[in-house]
Amino acid sequence: METKMTGSPVERSRPQSPNIQIYRPQLTSVLSIANRISGVFLSIAAFGLVVWLIAAAAGPRVYATVQGVLSSAIGQIVLFAATFAFFLHLCGGIRHLVWDGGYGFELRTIYASGWAVVTVSVALTLAAWIIALFTGG
Amino acid sequence: MIIRSSNQMSRLTLLKRFPLPRNFGVNSKSRIERGQTWSARAGTKRIKTFEIYRYDPGSNRNPRIDNFEVDLDDCGPMVLDALIWIKNTIDSTLTFRRSCREGVCGSCAMNIDGTNWLACTRFISDTEAPASIYPLANLPVVKDLVSDLTHVVAQYAMIEPWLQSKTPEPDKERLQSSEERHRLDGYYECILCFCCTSGCPSHWWTGDRFLGPAALLQAWRWLTDSRDEATGERLDNLEDPFRLYRCHTILNCTRTCPKSLNPGKAIAEIKKRMIERRN
Repeated sequence: METKMTGSPVERSRPQSPNIQIYRPQLTSVLSIANRISGVFLSIAAFGLVVWLIAAAAGPRVYATVQGVLSSAIGQIVLFAATFAFFLHLCGGIRHLVWDGGYGFELRTIYASGWAVVTVSVALTLAAWIIALFTGG
Repeated sequence: MIIRSSNQMSRLTLLKRFPLPRNFGVNSKSRIERGQTWSARAGTKRIKTFEIYRYDPGSNRNPRIDNFEVDLDDCGPMVLDALIWIKNTIDSTLTFRRSCREGVCGSCAMNIDGTNWLACTRFISDTEAPASIYPLANLPVVKDLVSDLTHVVAQYAMIEPWLQSKTPEPDKERLQSSEERHRLDGYYECILCFCCTSGCPSHWWTGDRFLGPAALLQAWRWLTDSRDEATGERLDNLEDPFRLYRCHTILNCTRTCPKSLNPGKAIAEIKKRMIERRN
């Protein structure tokens, strides 16, 4: 564009209108950022899994220490969050896979699949914990 | 709550904005300050307050938010009517673009209560109390609600939005079957208001190189046109980590389009076409 005024005093002095500071959170954007945050959280949690496996291989004393941390209140909260992040990221990933196939782009379908991701990941998290609490101990 | 079409208002909103500081990541020139309040005349029965973003390039002041109390008994039903009423009766310096006043031209696109829409097709009765009016998000501001569209229009020009044909020009019109014509439905209606591009978080962070939903919807409009013969070149032009693939299917675009078009679907179709031509 010949008329572009990049670097001209006029353009440089112009303020930028706000974006995320004013834009309303919607199911679309909230689930997108939730998918990213859960992905980052799961990457960190994967290190925790490796620590747990190494501890199991290192012997009963180390394993007991790690097990102690995991069964503490904070450990349980982190584990619960990791379970939820896992199911949210899994369901969100499946939703993205369907989109990549070119399906599910009608607005009502976008919202239906979005709420389905929320509902199913909450249900699976609760189910996983109920099963774990009753069968494990 | 299921949103069935983009003109549907969300009745249930947990948060009106993301829990971030007001001036999060905002440069010093763009920081918004408190402005003044223009009270309604005494005796006004039905008052509606509008919080409006103001910026005057003639002064050295930062942008600010002014509060205007509008007399609803003296004003038309749409947000654009309120803006015109303010300009006529309170502050003639209030600046905004408008033309057709019926959702056809796309001039009065702005951020109303946190989402992008046309001021002429949003009812005042559907806005919050107070209603908040900002220019389209994430664009340089020329004055008040007038944003600088130079960059997004240049991005539109990049997809070469015209018919490109190698075959010699026919004597008559280039004919299409009704099925071929039908493929353009949902894409040719774009009025280039840039509500979608301005509402796209991916375009906020990488808008210098990502073309954004408006330009990409137009790209698909030409890719799917049976008369256009530059499909290969058009796809080559888009085969880039940023231009096309910075779309992360957030779909704020489809949620906000005032013409109920589907930029998200158009972009998915382009991505699919990219893969199909590799096989």
